[in-house]
Amino acid sequence: MAPPRLIFVTGKGGTGKSTVAAATALTLARHRPVLLVDLEQSQSAARLLGLIREGDGPSSPGPALSNDLATLTLSPRAELEAFITRTVPISAISRRMLKSRTFGYVTAALPGLEAFLTLERLRLLAGQAALEDRYVVVDAPATGHALELLAVARSLIQLAPTGTLNRLALAVDQFLRDSARFGVFLTLTPAELALREMLAAVSTMRSEGGIAAITGVINCVPAALFSAADMMKVEALPEHAGLARRRRGLAHGAARARRELGRAGLPITELPLIFAEELTRAALDRLSCTIGPALGLV
Amino acid sequence: MKKVFALDHHRLLLCLGPGGVGKTTISAALGLRAALEGRTTSLMTVDPAPRLLDALGLDLTSPSLQSIDLHGFGARRGGRLQAMRLDPRAIFDRLIDRYAPSPAARSAILTDRIYRSLSGSLSGVADYMAMEQLLELTGAPRPASSASDAAAGSSAELPGPVPAEVVVIDTPPACQALDFLDAPRRMLELLGSRAISLLAPRSRSSQSSGSSRSQSRAFSVIDLAARIVLGAFDRITGLNLLADVQSFVRNFDGMYAGFAERAAASQALIRADSSAIVLVTVAEPEPIAHTREFIASLAALDLRPAAIVVNRITAPLPQESALDSAGLPPALLRKLKRNLADFAVLKRRETAALDTLRTSLPEPTPILFAPDLGYEPRTLADLATIARHLHPAEGGIIIARR
Repeated sequence: MAPPRLIFVTGKGGTGKSTVAAATALTLARHRPVLLVDLEQSQSAARLLGLIREGDGPSSPGPALSNDLATLTLSPRAELEAFITRTVPISAISRRMLKSRTFGYVTAALPGLEAFLTLERLRLLAGQAALEDRYVVVDAPATGHALELLAVARSLIQLAPTGTLNRLALAVDQFLRDSARFGVFLTLTPAELALREMLAAVSTMRSEGGIAAITGVINCVPAALFSAADMMKVEALPEHAGLARRRRGLAHGAARARRELGRAGLPITELPLIFAEELTRAALDRLSCTIGPALGLV
Repeated sequence: MKKVFALDHHRLLLCLGPGGVGKTTISAALGLRAALEGRTTSLMTVDPAPRLLDALGLDLTSPSLQSIDLHGFGARRGGRLQAMRLDPRAIFDRLIDRYAPSPAARSAILTDRIYRSLSGSLSGVADYMAMEQLLELTGAPRPASSASDAAAGSSAELPGPVPAEVVVIDTPPACQALDFLDAPRRMLELLGSRAISLLAPRSRSSQSSGSSRSQSRAFSVIDLAARIVLGAFDRITGLNLLADVQSFVRNFDGMYAGFAERAAASQALIRADSSAIVLVTVAEPEPIAHTREFIASLAALDLRPAAIVVNRITAPLPQESALDSAGLPPALLRKLKRNLADFAVLKRRETAALDTLRTSLPEPTPILFAPDLGYEPRTLADLATIARHLHPAEGGIIIARR
């Protein structure tokens, strides 16, 4: 089974969304060209890949590292402007709309509109990627906001019962439910809150009409190293025992996440905790190899 | 003389920071510390995930402040902790109850399509409502209430039976935090915008605030432009916004003054000397980079953090030499040494990230450390441990001692 054209990476804050997005982009880029899209304007994933330098602002162009990997930052405001310019045939009117403060207020007061147009842009990017046999990886917002984003097409269908937006909203809704075009990676760390937030996200996505989660990515999993018998023996050295317990705690958290994700019927991908002062490109490459199987790639 | 970092003259601590750094934990620890030091403290979260109250073992469905039992934690006299989760829609509805000029206006706005969509969305309005709740908790003077207060009955009262001496608020992650701080200004701008007032039919302008009365003189030109623009947008999109906005504005008429007053009060509250912005972060490259960007954005709003709390600081590592003399089996000894070396790498990474933070601060800002417990804080006792161990790089700390 081929990977979906667009992979949407989300998870609780601090669980490594950008790292996973960067590694996923590397995995796919070994097979086909990849566009790495940033919805947060932090460009974290691009930074990790060395595609931009420290200190480059969000407005800097996203240069391609090679022909196989390029980056793009989406801004909701720019998407709204592009949409107006595209759909309003008379440029005098579209300019006036964009300059109108009232229009600004009204569109800002409809919080779903800009978010929706961002989704519409993702749909177009996925369509283009399918034509050119490329892939798109999206470094998305944290779970709560990502779920709101994914739900926005449905509420817009209600809000605009006819017209352009209604047509687009139906198309976006279909896109999100098409596993050949759209798939979600959910990241978590071996921590209880991250696990709970993720399980809630899985059930929301399912109940809202079948948005496919491809895999749960358990990030930062260390080798357990210490057995229960080992722990008894180190008790005399409380500080070392503390460090050993911390390691075991993470390993046990990961084991628990595996069980719970398995119970929820979600395929699991595990990424090792990397004990390094910097997450180097070599380390990212190593992580990217672990992600391949989840996408049906070796 | 020992240096002391003091937050004791602050009544409001706004905790901001990137996602996943333990903002909720630190907010709770700060609130708990203030309570243990003898203050009446209120703690609230606007996080959509109800983690804080969960950790404190409170009823998540209750919309009001709940007392937390501090028995056995050695709180000083007068120390008290209350916590709540914010429900933006419920607070917005209560505000409507308060400011609606008549019961008919009240039910019209509560069923308005745009109002429902506004109040149900988490961005923007939730932030504004958090501010509204803060005003309530910090005991800012209430504007003269309208006739509907009586009509709405006691259920319309905002919660907060005990006025708090210290209020700690846990905000959404930093990417929305600027929106949070800016929410009152934007709300004020929206409400005060002449264009938006002019969208309303004129019939009720006699009941509305002084500002919209004076605006009605300039009615024709701007109104026409706004109508043309929205009309064109409606035809293209099928949204029917013009009619909706008109009915929304008409329904809101008469409530502007009250809302604008509250928004202005919120804005003043954030900038008051008794309010402190506390940035929460962890000593890792990515969150530290976000924190630096965030300090710069705050400076652009002429705001600066009173303190930075670095969460999950690893305790000093033990000596390797202790292992060799402990008479452990060789295999276990190897594993312990490997584990120590692994954590030493993480500790170096942490130190490097802290150095980056220190050297990049535009002005001297106190940095406080919160310990890593080695597990996720789950109970009040865990939070108390963190609260007790909060410490600055040097010297002492007072959160709320009288």
